[in-house]
Amino acid sequence: MKMFKSIKWRLQLWYGLILVAVLAGFGVTAYQLERNRQFGRIDQELHRRIGMLANALHRPPPRRPEQEFFRPPRDQMRDDGPPMVPGNRPLLEFRLPAENAQLFGTNDPNGFYFRIIQVIEHGRQEIARSDNYHDLAEPAAAVQFDHFFDRQNHVDSGPDNPPAKLKTMDYHAERITADFLPSGEFIEVGCSVTPELKELQHTALNLTLIGGLILLVGLAGGWWLVGHALRPISEISATAVKISAGDLAQRINVAEAESELGQLAAVLNSTFARLETAFAQQKQFAADAAHELRTPVSVMLTQTQTALNRERDAASYKLTVEACQRAAQRMRKLIESLLALARFDAGQEILNRQRFDFSKTIGDSVNLVQPLADERGVKVSVAAEPLEITGDSERLAQVVTNLLTNAIQYNRPGGEVRVKLESQNGLAVLAVADTGLGIAAEDLPRVFGRFFRADQSRTGAGNAGLGLAISKAIIEAHGGAIEVASEMNSGTTFTVRLPKD
Amino acid sequence: MRILVVEDEPDLLASLAQALREEGYAVDTADNGDDGFFNAEGTDYDAIVLDVMLPGLDGWEILKRLRKTKKTPVLMLTARDQTRDRVKGLDTGADDYVVKPFDLEEVFARLRAIIRRSANKTTNIFEIGEVKIDTAARQVFFKNKMVEITAREYALLEFLALHRGEVVTRTQLYEHLFDENESSLSNLLDVHVSNVRKKLGAEFIATRRGHGYCIE
Repeated sequence: MKMFKSIKWRLQLWYGLILVAVLAGFGVTAYQLERNRQFGRIDQELHRRIGMLANALHRPPPRRPEQEFFRPPRDQMRDDGPPMVPGNRPLLEFRLPAENAQLFGTNDPNGFYFRIIQVIEHGRQEIARSDNYHDLAEPAAAVQFDHFFDRQNHVDSGPDNPPAKLKTMDYHAERITADFLPSGEFIEVGCSVTPELKELQHTALNLTLIGGLILLVGLAGGWWLVGHALRPISEISATAVKISAGDLAQRINVAEAESELGQLAAVLNSTFARLETAFAQQKQFAADAAHELRTPVSVMLTQTQTALNRERDAASYKLTVEACQRAAQRMRKLIESLLALARFDAGQEILNRQRFDFSKTIGDSVNLVQPLADERGVKVSVAAEPLEITGDSERLAQVVTNLLTNAIQYNRPGGEVRVKLESQNGLAVLAVADTGLGIAAEDLPRVFGRFFRADQSRTGAGNAGLGLAISKAIIEAHGGAIEVASEMNSGTTFTVRLPKD
Repeated sequence: MRILVVEDEPDLLASLAQALREEGYAVDTADNGDDGFFNAEGTDYDAIVLDVMLPGLDGWEILKRLRKTKKTPVLMLTARDQTRDRVKGLDTGADDYVVKPFDLEEVFARLRAIIRRSANKTTNIFEIGEVKIDTAARQVFFKNKMVEITAREYALLEFLALHRGEVVTRTQLYEHLFDENESSLSNLLDVHVSNVRKKLGAEFIATRRGHGYCIE
């Protein structure tokens, strides 16, 4: 059953149903039109014959022997002139004109027949019938006729219900038209419609055959069309399967970029590309994080294994414990940094926003790094006007300290660090410039990346290359921006722009 | 056996050096790439333990330069365990590598292995007459009895055994048994040789006057 749930099968099913409905509608309409045409012709014939019979009825009755054939039944014949009926109306005589005799006979495939009835008081009297006239075997049909007769005769002929002059009905393979003449005669002409029915049957068969053929061709075409339309989707899904199996480098082959599916494929491809990048970054991040943890763990393992190799004095154990503590603190710092980054990534880091003087924070940070600056012989100069901003002062102090530490550590001995805070276009702009070696142009885009270090070696325990990544996350969480400009051998400037509110 | 350890993380360097010394090796240390390369090129070490990430010259670069002049066995310490890093290390001329964090025992075993390989030996056990030296356990047997022996005496014995049949000069012995801080005490070597002879028989170490010592 699974097969029939596929889009291809469902489309084909719907398409087939619609095709069948359209073909059936067309077939029925064509059949109906053909039937109307055939029966219209028959009806025309029937009407023509009624008219002819009506004319013959009113003609003066010449007596000619060859017309004895159409005499009224024997018991109603009078020898002396036209017989009288009750109500004193003469019983009409009828003679079929010779030139019309062939209109009713057995040599015609339709076998037209007729009957003429005159209305007399309290009843009716048959005047003439063709000798191929036969009573309707079906009582229901006869009753219907009687009913028609009665209605024309007496009743219900008001303005709402004008007497229908002509009535045509079908009875088995026969079609019969009856007409009520104004003078009170009732003419009934019928014929067999067997040839027409046969022809219609033929037509129906042909229509069915042609319809079936069209349906087959249509279904085959539809199958091809659906397959053709769905093939790109199968390709997309095949690629997606490969990607979900882990091969993120796969891409959908975009053959027709303009088509709807081409656009879908392009969108999916760009999604896959982003996914691949994100995945690669994640992998790199995990590898880097693991790598950063390896060194402190190595320290702890080696220190403890060495210490335990033999009995030692207390001073020696103390050294080991101190080394382990340093390693553990380094790991703690790394883990805290990683967690902070993860929280910023997830948007879970909550900022403790307050109104505070940013210049004061900067002053505090400068005081904090002053010992390091003195140790490296680096001069730190600050130009900061008091400037109130809204933000997490602790987090922003972390950023400033990080920028200052970098500026001092990567400076040349006797170098300078210039800190400037000013208000520009409603933004608080902090610039930290150093006179260090600068950052190579190809490294600049990676400066804010995770685990980036200006040189590949460690420059101090705890410097995992996460500081700038965290600073960037903090500044961006404040709705600000941080950027870097650098010139080799002349210095690097980090610029932070923060909204004041 | 004299070993150079190049590692920039001071706590790691200190404990590695201490542990190796306690294993009986003479250990020199360097905490940056430039010093490391200077030492590696200037002294005939029995092995070098080399970290990859170093300030100054990095481990790859030291290895590449060193291989132009020396075949000293090198054990790389790497924090990256990706295959391409190992391949790069081995292709550049490293004899083996250990991934951080490592167990000291593993470092010792791998060091013994690369030293042994460089001396074209395949087992850890040397049998010379009635003397048996187990380099893995660092034990010496004489007439199937274990002999009490100091680390330095063992180092002397092992070095001579590794170079069995060759005359080893006093200079070589000084270079391989003592690190840079203690090599000035020149009569120490004679004391060690005489102690080993007392324990394993006077004729076990032959003196080639004017040349050095030899185990036949």
